[in-house]
Amino acid sequence: MKVVVKNWHAIAQWKWDTGNNDADDGDVEGDVCGICRVPYEGCCPSCKVPGDDCPLIWGECSHVFHMHCLLKWIGTAASKQQCPMDRRPWVTAERKVDATTNSAPTP
Amino acid sequence: MSRVKRIAKELEECRQDAQSGVSLRLNNETDLTHLTGYFKGPPGTPYEKGTFQVDINIPNEYPFKPPQMKFLTKIYHPNISSVTGAICLDILKDAWTPILTLKSSLISLQSLLQSPEPSDPQDAEVAKHYISNKVGFDETAAYWTKLYASDGEKDGQAALSDSALYGIDDEIVTQFENMGFPRDKTILVLRRMGIKSFNNVTNKGETENKILEELLKECQ
Repeated sequence: MKVVVKNWHAIAQWKWDTGNNDADDGDVEGDVCGICRVPYEGCCPSCKVPGDDCPLIWGECSHVFHMHCLLKWIGTAASKQQCPMDRRPWVTAERKVDATTNSAPTP
Repeated sequence: MSRVKRIAKELEECRQDAQSGVSLRLNNETDLTHLTGYFKGPPGTPYEKGTFQVDINIPNEYPFKPPQMKFLTKIYHPNISSVTGAICLDILKDAWTPILTLKSSLISLQSLLQSPEPSDPQDAEVAKHYISNKVGFDETAAYWTKLYASDGEKDGQAALSDSALYGIDDEIVTQFENMGFPRDKTILVLRRMGIKSFNNVTNKGETENKILEELLKECQ
């Protein structure tokens, strides 16, 4: 039998690498930004298009938010510059690049 | 607007969650910023079996600013105003963070009923009562729960007895009533003087004289 492929559609899916990909951690809400409650792969309420223009931000405390949401919170006096999750002083973490890519940024 | 989406999501999540024991209702279907929260009084407290209503107002800056909450149901608690329902709770003020939600705030209120903080009072009179006479406080708080927070069934037992309402020992009121003073005036004077019972009073005779003096002035 001879099969001729006439045309095809490539479908790609992307996901932020949040560093905790244990899908079975049982936490239904695990993949939403704690500030706006929109999934990480969506965008913050001030943006229209998800992706590189509305990235995530990581804290040294390991908590992840939409960058725009977190910066808005840190910009308020009420935040006392603390992480919304654990109230520790917010320190943005250097993004760890996956070990398989050898272009790890030097801190 | 960012808050509208988030509030809609919170409402939906709360609707689906029957476990938490708190519920939210919109005051008006077209307005997502004015809500009423409901929850049960924690078991083992004087608020047990009561249902408490909380008025919720959501500011423009939500979730970067906390929702404004106050009790609609009258409640006798050191951290809640017995007159206005205003609440003294850190997460509704300077300890708010945007990961908190309307549901988690209501749950925090529920646990505030479980563990009052009389050292940081909203209602100084109630806090004083709590510290000086815990048993008397519990009785008054349970009485208020029965009177104001019970679901519908207001039977004869909960008939309004004015002295119990203010945690005043009925014996004192009767004592002065027997001298011919009107009940309402006696309660008014005792409330003004902050006297609830003679239990912790060292000089009973002197206190009685002071009450008499005030009563005579009041009844002139």
